[in-house]
Parts: sequence; structure tokens; C-alpha cells
Amino acid sequence: MKIDKTWAASVALHVLVLGWAMLSFSSKAFELEPQDSVAVDTISEDQLAKVMAGMRTGKKENPKPLVEKVAEAKPVDDTVGKISEKAPVVTDTSPPPQPKPKPEEKPVEKKPDPPKPVVKEEPKKEEPKKVEKKPEPSKEPAKEAEKKPEPKVDPIAEALKKEEKKKPPPKPTETAAKPPAPTKPKAERVFDQSKIAALLDKRDPTRNAVAGDVLNSNAALGLSKGKSADNSATWGAMFQSQVERCWKKPYGGIEAQRAEASFVIRLKRDGTLETMPQPDGHPSTPYLRVYQESALRAIIECQPYNLPAQFFDEWKFFAPVFTDRRP
Amino acid sequence: MSFDLNRRQLMISAATAAGALALGPARDAFGQARVQITEGNVAPLPIAIPNFVAGTPSDNEVGAGVSQVITNNLKRSGLFAPIDQAAYLEKITNIDVPPQFKSWASINAQALVTGRMTRQGDGRLKAEFRLWDVATGQQLAGQQYFTSPEYWRRIAHIISDQIYERLTGEKGYFDSRVVFIDESGPAERRVKRLALMDQDGANVRYLTRGSDLVLTPRFSPSTQEITYMEFGQGEPRVYLFNVETGQREIVGNFPGMSFAPRFSPDGQKIIMSLQQGGNSNLFVMDLRSKATTRLTDTPAIDTSPSYAPDGSRICFESDRGGKPQIYIMPAGGGQAQRISFGDGSYSTPVWSPRGDYIAFTKQGGGQFAIGIMKPDGSGERILTSGFHNEGPTFAPNGRVLMFFRDPGGNAGPSLFTVDVSGRNELRVPTPGYASDPAWSPLLS
Repeated sequence: MKIDKTWAASVALHVLVLGWAMLSFSSKAFELEPQDSVAVDTISEDQLAKVMAGMRTGKKENPKPLVEKVAEAKPVDDTVGKISEKAPVVTDTSPPPQPKPKPEEKPVEKKPDPPKPVVKEEPKKEEPKKVEKKPEPSKEPAKEAEKKPEPKVDPIAEALKKEEKKKPPPKPTETAAKPPAPTKPKAERVFDQSKIAALLDKRDPTRNAVAGDVLNSNAALGLSKGKSADNSATWGAMFQSQVERCWKKPYGGIEAQRAEASFVIRLKRDGTLETMPQPDGHPSTPYLRVYQESALRAIIECQPYNLPAQFFDEWKFFAPVFTDRRP
Repeated sequence: MSFDLNRRQLMISAATAAGALALGPARDAFGQARVQITEGNVAPLPIAIPNFVAGTPSDNEVGAGVSQVITNNLKRSGLFAPIDQAAYLEKITNIDVPPQFKSWASINAQALVTGRMTRQGDGRLKAEFRLWDVATGQQLAGQQYFTSPEYWRRIAHIISDQIYERLTGEKGYFDSRVVFIDESGPAERRVKRLALMDQDGANVRYLTRGSDLVLTPRFSPSTQEITYMEFGQGEPRVYLFNVETGQREIVGNFPGMSFAPRFSPDGQKIIMSLQQGGNSNLFVMDLRSKATTRLTDTPAIDTSPSYAPDGSRICFESDRGGKPQIYIMPAGGGQAQRISFGDGSYSTPVWSPRGDYIAFTKQGGGQFAIGIMKPDGSGERILTSGFHNEGPTFAPNGRVLMFFRDPGGNAGPSLFTVDVSGRNELRVPTPGYASDPAWSPLLS
């Protein structure tokens, strides 16, 4: 009997302890805590690729030089300035991207007439000379020069947006007026490759910088913790924020009515409803019925839902609860 | 042996007990995830109300008219946002087949009303309507009515109430009328006539000719009768007026002035103030037996009584505490309890048909405000305030208040409605100046 009592006592104690442990250590109901979610515009791969790509149709609004035009004047002067401040160089830089080579070739053909037919750059140096030194070459070449600038004017004119051929002649003289002084001394030096290299160097970094900024602005939206697994709790918040946009609550008067409507819904992988949402329970009052219908309307109207695909197993079947019962 | 058995039994029972304990919580753990959605926006419901289909070619006009009245009603309620007909993609030609819900969903309509008006062979008008939930494609309501053609507006109001009730869960209030004092002429010689109109301002009728001054008309909550005060040849008297028959009679025969009348909820009694010397007290008179009962006997001015919808209590205004305040007492008289304690003075209390609020005019700080409070005096809220706002009256569903506002100066008063939440204040169209509105019960 004594043994029985102690056994009984120990068994009873075990039961108590085990029972308590099972109660207190068992997992609680899987209820998703409402969490703050960051509003993010989701971008498809195509859209991302477009954002990353350089823009050919340049944006003038963009402060950062995506387009060659901005790069022409100032940057080139800065870097290459010491070496070649020549106007011709400047004009050179612009043509390569643009389809101007043809007009250049023509002058080259005509340049053989004047005495110095050398590299492409030199002919251009000659051009300003002609303009300046109209007296030096015979009047005929001057006239020719006037004719020559016309084809050469075209690239500039194009840059200035199609001016008539008659107008350009004065402009070349103006534009040429500035460059000529530097052109003379440096005309002799040939820096073709280095200039091209400098130009290439410049363009690449600017493009990278722009792309980098865009990338960073996206990357900044991550969590500081940086674990994608942490997002597992937030698909609920994502669903919440999406469905709330469509939910037009019925007007329950100035007294907060403690309405609640819960559903069970099944979603497909693309975020659309697999079946009609199943309302949980039958509404007991007209207002509760209206409340439940408004929630049902919201669920249907807001699909497809944009939820993280890797947690599909969690959100393919769950229970949204629309509630005004605030704790 | 017995020992072993005992032990085994104990262990088994312990295991089952523990298992049972564990099962409860574990079941929850494997249920679906619950996602709470709390932040919907209380926004007007987008609703599409295309013109009602004409059953015969001559019904086109009435079909468009009904749809227009419904649109106006729902829009004025502030709870609906009717969508402009120009945006509709589908033209409803037959209400007996389900509409193309996708085309209505694409213009963001959440509800759709289709209907048909048909002139019958016997001259009556048949009105049919269906209310659809666009998202689910369900028909939420559908009715048909027969009426004589001149009452098509009334049909539109009844349909409006059906839609309102089905989509808000509240009773409607569109099929109701308002009696008010129509004021015309210059400020020093204002002609005041008793007038009756639909709650949306249509169908104005004049009930008196304006030779005598009329004040404070009140609708019976259950019959088509009006009680009001009129200054005739002698003392001001309380009159009873039957809207249907046009019959008019004096209520009781009292020595002094009788004023501030109001019906009991069953429409069988009238409660009012009787002047006695410098004081006035509350009396109630049974309209059938003409028996009059005194309810208060104080050396103060007790006036503006109003019954609770269940008829058990009355609220009234009294200056027995110094300034006019609101008191509540049992309908049969007895101990009165003051419920208004804010700054200023309170007057013209009126009990909501829902019973949940008492509306009042509050005067203080040079302003007249319209407000509501609960019958126990808590939850006071001011709905509108200004130079002169007065005379609140509840819509039949207790959701909306009508009152009159006088801007001062040479201009006269006009009628306004406001939601009991204080939102959606709207002017009610009247032919001239208007004051002292009183809302009727629902007609049907």
C-alpha cells in the first residue's frame, strides 16, 4: 500500500508536470502578427533591364549625362583641354556617335585641293584657317572654303537642329573665331588615339554612375537584418495592405460596431482566387451581412495578389479576418 | 500483480491525460494562418444606376426620371458615389438577363441597379428593379411595384430605400416627407405658411394661406398628421392637421397659451407646454378621450418635450436650474434628471427614432450649434455651429438630422441636412426661405 501511494504520488506529479509543460511549451495558434510593410513598386525583369540600360533617346531632364551632347562641350574641354582645346577636336567628338562621318569625308576629299592633306584632324584644322585666313589662300579657295563649310556646317547645323545652308556660313566664322588661336599651335600635334581613348573613358564612367544610382535606390529597400527568411511573416502584411486598398467598409455609424468577418480563401500561384472565398459563419444582423459582403467584394476585387512566390505553401490557403474589434 | 496492474493503469491514464491536454493547442497550431485586416476605408460605395428600361416607348421619360431620383437620393446620403452615366460601357436593354458584370467592374462599380418602367393596360405603372453585386454577380434585391403614374417619384424613393437598406444594413429614409415653415416677403412683413414637401425638396405643397403666423410644426411618428402652433385671433393655440384630408382642429381648450406640441410615438397623445402665469408646465393630452394630464409642476419654464421612441420617457427643456438645460423624466411624470452640463444653454431637445441620441440646439459664445448626446448625457458632439442654427429633427432612420440656418442680415433661413457623424452637410432646396423643419416617418 505504501508503495502504491508513493507511486501514485509520483505518477500524479509526472502527469501534472508533463501536462503543464505540454500546455505551456506547445506552439500557439499560428496567427500572423500585423506587421509594417514597406510599400515597394515591384518591377518585372524586363522593366529592370530597361532601367539598367542606357537611354538612346536622351532625357534632358536627367541631370546625369546619359546623352553625348552634354558630354561634348564641357567634359571634353576639362580632360583633354590641355592637350587639345581645338575646336575641331570638339567637333570630332560629336560626330563619331552621330552619323556625321559622311559629311566629314566629303571635306576630306575636297581638302586635297589645299596643300595639307594629312590625317582627318588636320583637314579640320585647316577649315578654321580658311575661315580666318581668307586672304591667304586665293579667293577661289575662299569661295571653295565657303562651299566646303557647307557640308561641314551640316554636322553643326544638325546639332543646332537643321539650319538652312545659307545661314551657316556666318556661324562657322563665329565658332571658328574662338578656336583658331589654340588651333594654330596645337595643330601640329597629333593626339588622335589619346583623344579617342579619353573620350571613351569619360563616357563609360558616366553611364556606370547612373546605373549604379538606380541600383542603389532599389537595394535600399531591403531589411537591415538582411535575411530573406525574415520576410516569411510579411506576406500576411502584404496581403493585408493589398486587400485594404479595395475594402470599402460599410458606414457603421458613429458608434464603432464590433463587426468581424472571416473567410477561408485558396489562392493560385499567380495570386488569383482558386475558388470563391468561403465566409466563416452566417451574419446575424443586416449590418454584419453588409460588412461581410464588403469584405468579400474587396477580396474578389483586389486579386491577383502579389505575394512572395517562395512562401506559396503558406499563402495558398489561409484565413483573412476583417475586423473592427480592436484590442 | 495488482501492483503492476495499478502502475500500468496509472501510467496509461497519465499518458492519455497528458495527450488530451496537448491536443487542444496543437490543433490550432496546424490551422490556417489568420491574417487580420483592420484598415478599410469608409468610402462612399460606387454604384451604377443606368436609366430604367422603358417597357413601352412612352415610358422613356419616367424611366430616366426614376433613375435620376434614385441617383440623387443615394448621392445626397453621402454613403454612395453614383457613377456618371457617360462612363457606362454596357447599355441595359433587358433586365431579365444578368448584366455583363465585367464591364461594370471595369468602371469600378461595386453595385448595379437595373430596372424597368412599364405602363400597364389599366393605366397603372409597373416598376421593377434589381440590385446586383458586381463583384460576385449576385442579385442582392429585386422588387416590383404597381402605382398610378403620377406617383413615380414615390416609387423611386421606395426603391432608393430598398437599395440603401440592402447595402448599408440600415433602414432607409427617402420615402418620407418634411413639413416646414415657408417664409416669403420682406423681413419686417414675413408671410409664414405651413408647407409640405418630399425629403428631397420636390412636390412642395402649402397647407395654410399665411394669414396667421404658424410655428413649430411636428409630424406624427405613426400617422399622416401634423401638430403645430398658430397665432390666431387670441392666444397661440396648438392645432392638429391631417395631411390627407386637410382637416384642422384645435387641440384642447386651455385658458392660457399652449405651445411646443409633439406627438407620442403611437400618435395617440400630444405632449405640450401650457402657460400658467410666468411659468409653463408640461401636459399630455389623449387625442381620443381628450383627457389631459399634468406632468410637471415647477416654478420654471418647462417646454419642448419629446418622447423616447419606446414612449417610456420624455426629454424636455427647463430653466429650473437657472439656464435652460435638458432634463429627462418618466413619461408619466416624476423625478426629472438633468443630462446636459456643458457651457451655454441647451434647448429644443428631440429624441432620435432609434433611441440612441438626443439632438439639441446649444447656445453659447454668440453661436447657435446643433448637437447630439446620448440619453444619459454622455457623448455630446456638436455637428454644426454658426450665427443661428436651430430646430433639429431626425430622419426616420435616425441617421440624418435636418435643421434650419439663418445667416443673419436681410437673408432668411434655409434648411440643411447633416449626418449624425457631423459629415455631409447639405442644403435642402426649398422655393423660398424655410425654417422649423419636421421630418415625417416613412410613408410605407
